Amino acid sequence: MRTKRADTVAAYLFLLPFLTLLTIFFLYATVRAVYFSFTDYDLFREPNWVGFRNYLALFQDALFLSALRNSVLFALIVTAIQTFLALVMAAVLNQKVRGIGFFRAAFYMPSITSSVVITLIFLWMFQRRGLINYLNESLQRWLPILVAFVLIALVLQVLQVLWERSRALPARWTDPALLVVSLLLAGAAIWLLTTLGMLSPRDVAPVDFIWLQTRDTIPAGAPFWLSVPIPLAAIMIQNIFTTIPTFMLMYLAALQDVPKSHYEAASIDGATATQQFFRITIPSVAPVTFLVLTLSMIGTLQMFDQVAIFGDAAPLRSVVTLAYFVYNRMFPGAQTPEVGFAAAGAMFLALLTLAVVLLQRRLVRSEGY
Amino acid sequence: MRQIVIAILGLALLGGALAQQVRIMGYGGQDPAIKVRLLDEVIGASLEAEGITFTYEPLEGDYNAALFNALSAGTAGDIFYIPVETAPGIIATGKVLPLDGLIDTNAFIDSLVEAYTVDGTVYGIAKDFNTLAIHYNIDLFEEAGVEVPNAEDTWESFADKLRGVAALDADVYGACFPAGFDRFGAFAFATGWQTFDATGASNLLDPDFVEAVTWYTDLVREGVAIQPSDIGQGWTGGCFATDNVAVAIEGAWILGFLRNEAPNLQFGTTFMPIGPSGERGNFLYTVAYGVNVDSPHRDAALRVLEALTSPEAQQWVLEQGLAIPSRTELADNPFFLEDTPEAVANAVVFAGADDGNVLGFQFGTIGTDWMTPVNDALVAIMTGQSSVEAALTEAQRDLDALIQRAR
Repeated sequence: MRTKRADTVAAYLFLLPFLTLLTIFFLYATVRAVYFSFTDYDLFREPNWVGFRNYLALFQDALFLSALRNSVLFALIVTAIQTFLALVMAAVLNQKVRGIGFFRAAFYMPSITSSVVITLIFLWMFQRRGLINYLNESLQRWLPILVAFVLIALVLQVLQVLWERSRALPARWTDPALLVVSLLLAGAAIWLLTTLGMLSPRDVAPVDFIWLQTRDTIPAGAPFWLSVPIPLAAIMIQNIFTTIPTFMLMYLAALQDVPKSHYEAASIDGATATQQFFRITIPSVAPVTFLVLTLSMIGTLQMFDQVAIFGDAAPLRSVVTLAYFVYNRMFPGAQTPEVGFAAAGAMFLALLTLAVVLLQRRLVRSEGY
Repeated sequence: MRQIVIAILGLALLGGALAQQVRIMGYGGQDPAIKVRLLDEVIGASLEAEGITFTYEPLEGDYNAALFNALSAGTAGDIFYIPVETAPGIIATGKVLPLDGLIDTNAFIDSLVEAYTVDGTVYGIAKDFNTLAIHYNIDLFEEAGVEVPNAEDTWESFADKLRGVAALDADVYGACFPAGFDRFGAFAFATGWQTFDATGASNLLDPDFVEAVTWYTDLVREGVAIQPSDIGQGWTGGCFATDNVAVAIEGAWILGFLRNEAPNLQFGTTFMPIGPSGERGNFLYTVAYGVNVDSPHRDAALRVLEALTSPEAQQWVLEQGLAIPSRTELADNPFFLEDTPEAVANAVVFAGADDGNVLGFQFGTIGTDWMTPVNDALVAIMTGQSSVEAALTEAQRDLDALIQRAR
């Protein structure tokens, strides 16, 4: 009996440092923020109780509505794409190939690079004369040659496979040895055609797509709640790029636990690689998918840093998210801080995040995982 | 070991009792180094004789947010910077000490004192100021066979000269025009337009304002001027340093930058072009020192403020090419009469404060948020996404909503 009580005391003693920090920086701060959200506090004057006025004002504020739309679309689109791509990349990296360690490390790089640095680099890439527009332009310019190359290679491959089969030799359509020959020959053919002047890059106007300094949305003319501002799409691309590797790592760990025998059995039954991916891989890692979806949802709903670094590079309304809205109202350009209003925004964001996660849990549960 | 610790603590306490430590909060960047040199080389000795020292605490990042936080939490310095564009908001917190009767404000330029006066009370002493001027690349104009800009230039003749240089090569531009009111505003003022009219409203659809926007954005659409970001630069000084842009419209702060980044660039400086009103337009940019109303060392803080804005300190700052003194007595400064490009630039920037329609870089208690709708409109027009009229109509709507909220 005595030892049991001593154990309990010891446990609480060990918990004490963490509980203290939690109480001060989380519990106390949250209670204060909840209180402020019902007042007109501005950091300097005594707060006055105003009831739900701040919450009502939120929904009359054009910037808040933009922030809500941006955050929700950002969370849904980014979560969906990055979860799927993370799984695909993990499946690719789960092969037993020589040098796979290098690829795993290389693919993980974006996640350990500072988000600030990556955002700055992307800012340059998204400039009107940046890398992305340049690549787009180059692609258009070299398109005829690329298409010709692919077509020639395809024809050569088909001819070779048919020839092999006519000699009663087993050859798959994707036979690697034949593919190498096809590609080499196609390359030579393209070289010949361009030197003879029969094939040349197209003359295209420089691509001047405005990624950042624009209020346009995609799809153009869509209703307010369904239109993604183009600068926000740019942030989406960047966010997907930087977060995939983290989730890929989780999937990679999960994939190591999927028994090889399942794949062997499926192969014997004649399942293709694609069928195996959808029928074995995806169901086997379902618990990790729930974790990834939850983390991704929370992370994307609270996205702040990339908007802050984009700063003046894009119109505020086109990139503002709920988290940035709270900051923006807390520290507006030289006006007195609207702490009450900002706190109401923060409370809304917290409740929204909680609701989304609970809803998601219910949905995933009902599917039986 | 213990004795040493006690000795050090004792010394620190003793030092604390003898010397009054004044904390100054201000910008990061080059300011910390300047303050240290100012203390070491100019004012440190006399302050030390009175038992006063100061430390400089730079607030990196968003200065405004950091200062509001510090003021509210009671951790702000005894002295802090008050940027002119955020002054009304900072003063409205009630945390800035009124300086009436404590500092002689008559020694400072009137318009600078006015920028920090609310209801007849002065809250800040401008540490220095700046205006805009045309800095031009002599070699580029020579190469193009175009006469360099001069004080008689109007908008038309100035634009023609830029066109002449821009015609040199596809990569050469007449100027970098950022899509920002913090530079463009000077041109708007040259039409006689003002940020706030008599009723306290801002009219962006005023024919004068529309004319200025049209002139400014047309030069970009024509390809004579270009946005800095479109040639991979962050500001017009960066554009100018590439040697491919004929002029930069900036204040004297560009001088230190050019000294480091483009030491071989041959440049001259002249006044802003004359606008349709027959006058030039210009901004008055300044930063003041304010004293914390809760400062435990108020007298020492006031003494440090005096030292920082003393004639000796301001002369040193001027000669370092950092900023223009805010004291009237330094107006007839022999330094301004020197023949070097830097001295000429300083003289032009100094004279710019008193030439034509010069308005403070200030937006009442709305603060810098005022510029956001206007900047968005400028971008939309420059990139061809919107017409002048449509963009300004939208900006006016946003701005009205903003002003409504702030009241």
